[in-house]
Amino acid sequence: MMYEPLVLGIETSCDETAIGIVRGRTLLANVIASSVEEHARFGGVVPEIASRAHLEAMLPSLQQAVIDAKISLSDIDAVAVTAGPGLIGALLVGVASASGLALGLGKPLYGVNHLAAHVCVDLLTHDLPREPTIALLVSGGHSSLLQVDDITSSVIKLGESMDDAAGEAFDKIARVMGLGFPGGPAIDREAIAGNPEAIDFPRGLTHSNDWATRPFDFSFSGLKTAVARYLESTPDYAKADVAASFQESIVDVLLLKALAACKKTGIDSLVIAGGVAANSRLRAVAKHRCHEAKIRLRIPAPGLCTDNGAMVAALGSLMVSAGRPASSIDLEATSSLSVSTVSI
Amino acid sequence: MSISLSIDTSTSRTSVAIIDESALLWHGFRDGATSHGHALPGMVAQALEVQFEIDQVVVGMGPGPYTGLRVGISFARSFALARQIPLVGICSLDAIATQVRTKDDFIVATDARRKEIYWARYFNGDRVDAPAVDFPADVALQGVPIFGEGAVKYLLTGDDEIQFPDVAALVELAKNQDLHLDQPIYLRRPDAVPTSERTP
Repeated sequence: MMYEPLVLGIETSCDETAIGIVRGRTLLANVIASSVEEHARFGGVVPEIASRAHLEAMLPSLQQAVIDAKISLSDIDAVAVTAGPGLIGALLVGVASASGLALGLGKPLYGVNHLAAHVCVDLLTHDLPREPTIALLVSGGHSSLLQVDDITSSVIKLGESMDDAAGEAFDKIARVMGLGFPGGPAIDREAIAGNPEAIDFPRGLTHSNDWATRPFDFSFSGLKTAVARYLESTPDYAKADVAASFQESIVDVLLLKALAACKKTGIDSLVIAGGVAANSRLRAVAKHRCHEAKIRLRIPAPGLCTDNGAMVAALGSLMVSAGRPASSIDLEATSSLSVSTVSI
Repeated sequence: MSISLSIDTSTSRTSVAIIDESALLWHGFRDGATSHGHALPGMVAQALEVQFEIDQVVVGMGPGPYTGLRVGISFARSFALARQIPLVGICSLDAIATQVRTKDDFIVATDARRKEIYWARYFNGDRVDAPAVDFPADVALQGVPIFGEGAVKYLLTGDDEIQFPDVAALVELAKNQDLHLDQPIYLRRPDAVPTSERTP
């Protein structure tokens, strides 16, 4: 039987203090303490508020995860932690906690990439990942298209957003429409009653010239401006139609480029991950288009799309099983860690 | 017999010691206002090679610049959790005050950035006022000698020997339960303005 390491994962790159515990591919605990409500009145995540909340929530979350998993901390084979990318002050709370735990227990420490962990979480709900695969990673901080040859060692960035991340665009449009923060779920709900074809909002970087020069990059700032102008010029706009049409533009361009990446590389597998992967329209359209294009699609369960510790533990578990070397105990959290660096 | 791991990251210096009662078994420090996260685990790993069994953790709870301060407290808390041993938090300024032997009424100050200092006043060895955060010139108006990294930086003292918390002193202070702290000392609120209060 395959060795199934017991790994504890810590995630603090943004506003979620999250602890996951996995044994091999089995999820044993997934504790998430979010400070999102503290940020709502500021219209976005305030780094210092997030960092203070991480410190406050860390110990109770660790204790809860150990109880949920019905294990003893001393049973753990390795500690994994998000080393970047993310807010540096927030990352440092997680990395310091992880190194304290690893040194206290005398167990190895794995500093892993937040983005690779997002892609990897699918491992907990579906079959073993089929590699190579294309991965579309969409969240509040990132919109990237990746080619994953081996999630523990080889991830190549094909393209990314030139300006806002997709989730950021959701937040900003939700704010101007008065729908609240975070914007993704708010727009998703509002859009249900709307017509996605009511307004023809622009699709960034999809002109023929763009397909030649930046086939796998995204741009959402033009869309944002177009929606803002529409709202200004149409005082009695239909909220649901604007939400649905705006969402459609994002979903359309994300999938156009993801499927183009599959076609270009000849890879017939697509994983969609990150917080925006919880969007119901993205999930539905992806399913339809991938079926048509004969691409095998995998999207993690909605609860595992947003930031969580289970994904960090899952990647840690794969690293241990693959025999990858542990990180140095004094690994440095890196706010701009490149996605091609799976572990540091 | 009790062996303590003592940590302070409240100033630009990261300090670690392992102390058996009052005997210093290992001591190290690294300077750098943004290097706590990198420096601390490596030093503790070295210290544990000398003495692996630890009975309690003592950590400086600040006041201090937030990011570095949190590194020490996060690390100390999870290390204590892993070992199932007690953790004691102590005001870091107190571990500077113990180094002042020449005066009985004085202030200890560390650098709070933004041209301010964290400070507390001591009389006959006890903290009698603050900790607080203020401009150096305002603190100097109290007219008593000032010691510590904040005093050195703003030229409020001639004594540059006394600057940083003494981690051995933290362990000594931890014997007094009245000084124990559970939460970090921040003294400032986060700078952020709610969207509803912003001027357009």
